[in-house]
Amino acid sequence: MDPENYDPEGDLMILNLGPQHPSTHGVFRVKLWLDGEVCIKAVPYPGYLHRGVEKLCEKLSYVMITPIVDKNDYVSPFINELAINMAFEALNAVETPRRANYLRTLGAEMQRVGSHLLWLGTFGLDMGGALGGGASVFMHCFRERELILDCFELWTGSRFHYNTLTVGGNRHDVPAGFAELVRQTYTLIGQRADEYDAMLVDNAIFRARTKGVGTVDAKLAMELGVSGPILRASGIDWDLRRDRPYAAYNEVKLDVPVRYEGDCFARYEVRMAELRESIRIVLDLIDGIPEGPICALKPVKLPGAYKGKVGQAYAAVEGPRGELGTWVIADGTDKPYRCKIRPPSYHAVSLIPYLAPGNNVSDIVVTLGSLDPILGEVDR
Amino acid sequence: MTVPDDVTRLLAERFGLESGDPITVSRDRVVELGGALKEAGFTYLVYVACAHYPATDAEPDRTVAEYRVRRLPVDEVAFRVWVPTGESTPTLVPVFAGCDWQEREQFDLVGTIFAGHPDLRRIMLPEDWEGHPLRRDYDIATRHHPWR
Amino acid sequence: MSVILENPWLLGAVAGFVVINAMMVTAAWSIWFERKFAGAMQNRPGPTQVGWAGLLQPVADLLKLIQKEDIVPTNADRALFNLAPPLGMILVLAGLAVFPWAPGWVPADLDIGLLFILSISSLITIPVWMAGWASNNKYALLGGMRAAAQAVSFEVPLLLSALVPIILGGSLRLGDIVAAQADGRWFALWPPGPGSVAFVLFMLASLAEANRIPFDIPEAESELVAGITTEYVGMKFGLIYLAEYLHTAVSSLLGATLFLGGWDGPGPDGIHWLLLKSFALFAGIFWVRWTLLRYRADQFMALCWRVFVPVSLACVAVAAVWRVYA
Repeated sequence: MDPENYDPEGDLMILNLGPQHPSTHGVFRVKLWLDGEVCIKAVPYPGYLHRGVEKLCEKLSYVMITPIVDKNDYVSPFINELAINMAFEALNAVETPRRANYLRTLGAEMQRVGSHLLWLGTFGLDMGGALGGGASVFMHCFRERELILDCFELWTGSRFHYNTLTVGGNRHDVPAGFAELVRQTYTLIGQRADEYDAMLVDNAIFRARTKGVGTVDAKLAMELGVSGPILRASGIDWDLRRDRPYAAYNEVKLDVPVRYEGDCFARYEVRMAELRESIRIVLDLIDGIPEGPICALKPVKLPGAYKGKVGQAYAAVEGPRGELGTWVIADGTDKPYRCKIRPPSYHAVSLIPYLAPGNNVSDIVVTLGSLDPILGEVDR
Repeated sequence: MTVPDDVTRLLAERFGLESGDPITVSRDRVVELGGALKEAGFTYLVYVACAHYPATDAEPDRTVAEYRVRRLPVDEVAFRVWVPTGESTPTLVPVFAGCDWQEREQFDLVGTIFAGHPDLRRIMLPEDWEGHPLRRDYDIATRHHPWR
Repeated sequence: MSVILENPWLLGAVAGFVVINAMMVTAAWSIWFERKFAGAMQNRPGPTQVGWAGLLQPVADLLKLIQKEDIVPTNADRALFNLAPPLGMILVLAGLAVFPWAPGWVPADLDIGLLFILSISSLITIPVWMAGWASNNKYALLGGMRAAAQAVSFEVPLLLSALVPIILGGSLRLGDIVAAQADGRWFALWPPGPGSVAFVLFMLASLAEANRIPFDIPEAESELVAGITTEYVGMKFGLIYLAEYLHTAVSSLLGATLFLGGWDGPGPDGIHWLLLKSFALFAGIFWVRWTLLRYRADQFMALCWRVFVPVSLACVAVAAVWRVYA
């Protein structure tokens, strides 16, 4: 049926899914043209959470931006800080010390586990509802995520928005007893990851809801710039951590999980494999962090102390949702001239107009959940 | 990132352009360059980003649009096109489907006009927003609906 | 006392008053029980603040719901919108009129008691559909349509599996069906095969009838916001909610009566056995709810027509053969 020739008296029903909807993972609006319950056309309207982060980056000095980008992808702030500071360091070709690199790798992997746990919980909510089995998955995932936040609280003093990375290195060194806490926490989560598999993969309803639903075509995904677990679930074996190592990833053993089906179940499998892989990396790293300084530059006392050399740089890290990049133009002052943040979720959400048609409302919700969009990052 | 050899050769032979990071290309050949790069295996669109430069003695008021494409796993090429304010640059949506949302976002925030874009509407800001906030001449104190 | 017992109208009124109030109170506290139960499954305490162990939580909920402003959407069909919640409640409670609680304790001992209960409970789809349609809300409309489709489908296996105890018990009167299961010959256990399969099917179809997970697609809060109850606030929402719990309670009572021998049990027979068995079924329904995810509407219709209906037909056939030859 042609959405253009829509007859308001009969043919199609227009449904505004969101922005206030329990499973749009924030405030996201999709306008759906429904024939019965089957979607004919979907037009997403992001932007409800636009906070002008890129404008703020132009108005603030380099060292003041880190706490701002914490709030972009509010589920993995550590990786946001890493992405933007790597771009600023690339401007001036600042080499970070080895210990700082290791700590950054450790923090990023710890954060990835927390982020994937949150995704798993909300994915359960999308399928089981807030008053049902999905809530059980959600509660169990949040129980473990609390432990991860405890680790970060011990490290940086904050549970959520750490402001721990700075241009040239880290701000906080790990305290005494940190290694022991991390080892306990991540060993425990590693054991409990099997419980999640038992809860979900062994469940016929979960398989029925995810297998063959929301299949992403790899070629289209690459043109749209979709990255991370979504791309790897569609059979593209590509991971920035392995293919363009940053921080200490060239010294870390890393297996990249790949699936070929491209559906929601494949994305679930990739993320669960990544979760286990990250836990393994954390446990490997925690005992092997080299000694040394944690910041290459002197601690910044004035906000304008760091100036970017004239030029531009692009740096990208592999976040939990894919390639999180920063493109920065410097004009020699203490503030970036232009700072573009390339969020993976924005590209992932742009898949919705391609994935939604032909599916019914239930499947659209599951598909959206499996793309793991963080709307703070989509809208910035 | 250094530009891979085959791209340097392609640029020199077919376009008469110097290689670099980024490559600067004229507006009338940007679609052709995008297509040639896609044929050369650069099928992954990383981003489209624009920046605004106010008028100087040498140059008029203009924006730059930078496209970055990637050939997995590592090769990366960025090419940019200068767009004087008030004029437009051809869209790359026919080449890379992902340019749709990317160019819309840059149009919304920076104000670069992409000619031939299928759906050039605001994406981040409300439809009735005036001005493009990432332009250097944008008055940040501008009051907007519903607060004006 | 004897005045009441001799006057059928007064007796009916008293019995109705007792049964309805007992069920309402049970349903209210079953919400407390479910929240505690879910809390235990999810490593959290559940309600703790109001009263000892949160036992007064239903009272607090009730007070909160009653205080809410009563909002009717501007373009809603006002009459239907207001009628749907109480109608749902009335229909759920009406089924209890013919229920045998213990030997001789039947408010209205109909010959066709089971047929009455099943037909009354299948009518509950109408208030649900009314709520969905009258709200003039697209989510509610989708929810109402799903409810109608679901009821049409799941009525079939529900009735077919209820046929098995009718065939085995040889009567439509609930009291006779319970009596036929005396001395531990419960239909869920004896004869082996059709009874136990029909029992499982009956409970699953009841879940679908009462819109419980994994078949709660009319409400599906992650897809349809709150489905049919999207536009309802205050006590109207409370009534729909309570009716849902009551429906679950009635389903588990019916399951216990038809398949688990009702009041029959070791030691003295009586209402305590019925309540114990139906409580176990009730808790089982909660357990399922907090464990499983939700089916998609089309998958679950397929499950109904391709699995539940043929299997329940087979159960009926086997039960009939058993009845004739054994």
